Amino acid sequence: MEEYKEKLDGLPVDIKLRAVDRLKIHLMRQKYGYFSRLCLLVALIGPGILVMIADNDAGGVITYAQTGSIFGIGFFIPFMILMLPVAFIVQEMTVRLGAVTHRGHAEMIWKRYGRFWGFFSLIDLVVANILTLITEFIGITIGMEIFGVSPIISSVAAIIVITSIQLFTRYSYWEWISLSIAVFNLVFIPLVFFVPRLHWGVVARSFATWHIPGGVSSLFIYVVLANLGTTIAPWMLFFQQSSVVDKGLTVKDIRDGQVDTFLGSFFMVVVAIAIVMIAGFTVYRGHLGTTIDIQNILSVISAKMGGFAMKLFALGLVEAGLVAAIAISASTSWAMGEAFGWPKSINLPPLKGMHFYLPGLLSIVVAGLVVLIPHVPLGFLNLTVQVLASIFMPAAMLFLLMLLNDREIMGNHVNRPWQNITSFAIIGFLIIMNGLYGLTVIFPHIFG
Amino acid sequence: MKEDKLIKKVNLDEDWENFVQEEGLLDYNKIPLERAQIKGWIKWAFWFLRIYIVVMIIMVIIGFSRI
Repeated sequence: MEEYKEKLDGLPVDIKLRAVDRLKIHLMRQKYGYFSRLCLLVALIGPGILVMIADNDAGGVITYAQTGSIFGIGFFIPFMILMLPVAFIVQEMTVRLGAVTHRGHAEMIWKRYGRFWGFFSLIDLVVANILTLITEFIGITIGMEIFGVSPIISSVAAIIVITSIQLFTRYSYWEWISLSIAVFNLVFIPLVFFVPRLHWGVVARSFATWHIPGGVSSLFIYVVLANLGTTIAPWMLFFQQSSVVDKGLTVKDIRDGQVDTFLGSFFMVVVAIAIVMIAGFTVYRGHLGTTIDIQNILSVISAKMGGFAMKLFALGLVEAGLVAAIAISASTSWAMGEAFGWPKSINLPPLKGMHFYLPGLLSIVVAGLVVLIPHVPLGFLNLTVQVLASIFMPAAMLFLLMLLNDREIMGNHVNRPWQNITSFAIIGFLIIMNGLYGLTVIFPHIFG
Repeated sequence: MKEDKLIKKVNLDEDWENFVQEEGLLDYNKIPLERAQIKGWIKWAFWFLRIYIVVMIIMVIIGFSRI
């Protein structure tokens, strides 16, 4: 046994910590019985739940709330249910790719398809991540204002908390801290029961009618795109694959990774539906509404559901921003490390991993400061981020599909025909919606 | 130390090298990955991607110029 200790000590520090985690998994695998199997699953889940809960970020919460306020629940509750398989199919591919190759998404694009596409994806990701981080800080500051905390204090505190979590924890603790914060995302579910005159019959009827108030308009396409953009985003592909690699999942763990991703997709959709319902039953007035900012939505919630409900909603908003900021800044760090061949792991101590940590932390500081600039058009910025994400998503997904069909690297784990068909259908839908939105930009009155 | 306790419990069926290999506990920065051959539908996908990106950039520029 002493031999193993020496061999462990001979590994680089980040791989050594991963090896210790993998030894625990190895031990768990040797036990039989349902309880042991459950323990193994609990030990292996994390990246899937985290990415999906982080996807219900502050921008997402604001988008869902605005969606419910403008269009009610008629179309968007069934639409959100459709998003469950969409999110699962897309994210599951990153689990297989990471577990088989042990390399992150940025590294795979860079090395398999060359520097040009590597740079394209990286710049794309980093810019979109900074913009998205700004929306996370919008959520954190707005949410904390409800508790009487000034934006400067909440923004600086968030920067300190996120920086500390990234720098001073190893991967397994980092994951558990992030998941513990993510639990508060579920706060939106009990909030539904605070809604006055909640009609479950209306909810059930929405599945039969798929009613769109005002019909298909440019606003409707914009909101569908924004919701797609918050359900599947380029950073999620990069994040989950890197996370799977840093956690050390292998081909033996693919099934657990799939369960993890399904659980995450389920929670994500349930929370999204809860938020659309809250806004749909409290703010929506029975006909097509206009864009309404989150502060106004919070005041209506306070007036109709009470101050406690509004505080819970605000708490959810803060949590959404915080957990997403942790995940998004980590995805920036991982992608930079993968692209430039730096050591890249949350297991790295701060000084040894300075190259790795710096890009993510810098993006956090930039976003935390931008949000403090007076009169920044925050609502507009939020929807723009979601739309930008959905515009770039087809490109990111195309790379994912190319890699998942690459037998040289994936072997028997390449996509099955049904996975390719559904993935191409998702890309096709994204492109059609992007095209329609583009048309409404050039010809604003095309849909009346 | 927790690590020592863990190692004492370990009973690897395979040898250590196999364990390291199977678990991917390697420095992948040092393992080269070959460039993919761009042929068949991948070639078309890249052309589609180029055109898509140009069209989207034009649309975004038009969109922002109207704000």
